[in-house]
Amino acid sequence: MNQADVSKLVSKLNIKVNPRLRKFRSPQGPEGRLDKLRKTVTALFKHERIELNYPRADEARMYAERLISDAIRYGDCHKSTMEMADYWLVEKQIVHKLFKVLVPRFQDYGISYTKLYRAPKRPIPEDQYEKAVLELRGNPYPPLLHGTHNNKNLIHNILLEEAKKAYRAKKCAEIAAKIDAVEEKTKSDKPVDHCTQ
Amino acid sequence: MINTTKNFVKLKTFKVFNFRNVYRSCSTEASLNNTNEEENATQEGFKKSFAEYRHIYPEFLPDPEVKLRNVIREKLERKDMIARRSQIAIPEFYVGSILSVTTSDPHSPGKSETFVGICIKREGCGLRAKFILRNVIDHEGIEVLYEMYDPTIQKIKVLRLEKRLDDELLYLRDALPEYSTFDPNMEPELLVEGAPVPVNSLKVKLKPRPWVDRWERKNLQGVQDIDLPERFWVKAAKVATPWEKYDLMKIYKKTIPAEEQRKYTMKSNHNCKS
Repeated sequence: MNQADVSKLVSKLNIKVNPRLRKFRSPQGPEGRLDKLRKTVTALFKHERIELNYPRADEARMYAERLISDAIRYGDCHKSTMEMADYWLVEKQIVHKLFKVLVPRFQDYGISYTKLYRAPKRPIPEDQYEKAVLELRGNPYPPLLHGTHNNKNLIHNILLEEAKKAYRAKKCAEIAAKIDAVEEKTKSDKPVDHCTQ
Repeated sequence: MINTTKNFVKLKTFKVFNFRNVYRSCSTEASLNNTNEEENATQEGFKKSFAEYRHIYPEFLPDPEVKLRNVIREKLERKDMIARRSQIAIPEFYVGSILSVTTSDPHSPGKSETFVGICIKREGCGLRAKFILRNVIDHEGIEVLYEMYDPTIQKIKVLRLEKRLDDELLYLRDALPEYSTFDPNMEPELLVEGAPVPVNSLKVKLKPRPWVDRWERKNLQGVQDIDLPERFWVKAAKVATPWEKYDLMKIYKKTIPAEEQRKYTMKSNHNCKS
């Protein structure tokens, strides 16, 4: 039975947290593991969408979420948060991006700040590792998945389709009524013509 | 946002257990006060004050180890803890505070036993919360481990409320005895209501080796310069893990997130009212 550490106050992450952290074998030991993750987190914040091996993406995602949530909770005037950002972001201009771009973007998000997709393996026999795409939400690129707004089974699409049908039926009825009216007119005119002849 | 407002309103309408006022003054009886403090506080301030309770009642937070979590057991434990706290006052104290604990003892003449000492460790959560008191009596170091919610405890009194520079004071076992000697007939020292808990920046002097632990590797703040041969420091630098403080997920797994903490505080408050 352990007592929770109360010296730090953290925000709850809106992603699934793995019960065990991955080890990422490295000649530098556990420090090398963090170095690898640092590179990935920096690249994610820089490019906003990256493709990489699945385990590293899944692990780096948790660290990226923690970094953003701390930046939102404490801001750039908090010493230990700034130290943490300085450690995790290898390129120092990304620290500015974190506090000036990403924090305002994610401030009111009630959901996760990142998205993780599984990507197909590369078609070469040497690299048969699981691949993934990791991206920040609200990035400027076109969406990876097809939007669901074209799905004909969605309720609003069904309703729109019915409304269209009804509108078409109404228009057809109007046109038919017009044609009928014209025909009746011609019919009623015909006997008059016959008389004049 | 909607949820928090709801909780706020719910609390406002009920009587509130104001632990801080009750226990700082070290009174023997817990009482329910209906204060206007919470009513006047803004919602933001209210949230903040709840976050501060984690320092006073760390054992109310559940175990950070996910494997050991059980929601129903935690709920029942919180209920029992509140019930116990309505019987005896368990005051606010920290590692480094000096406490006097009176327990029932069928073999002692007055059927009760009092021990005064400095709290050197707090551990465990829920009903298994424990603390260790240390004192030197007749030139011999004595340590007693008390279970906080043990029904044989009759009275817990804080004689001096203060913190030290470290989270654990186990190194007092290897310090000179004068640093863990306290008068058993000490008078309680009173603090001004609402004042922050003072931090005692005392640096203790360790006895020469052998020790119970390798204190030179622990990065202790409350210890005077340790006099050791060079090889100890070389080894200490070799096994040090300075990167661990940057491991955000390790930190996350050792704590309970703020949103969850708030939930538990609310729940225990609700239990004590009903």
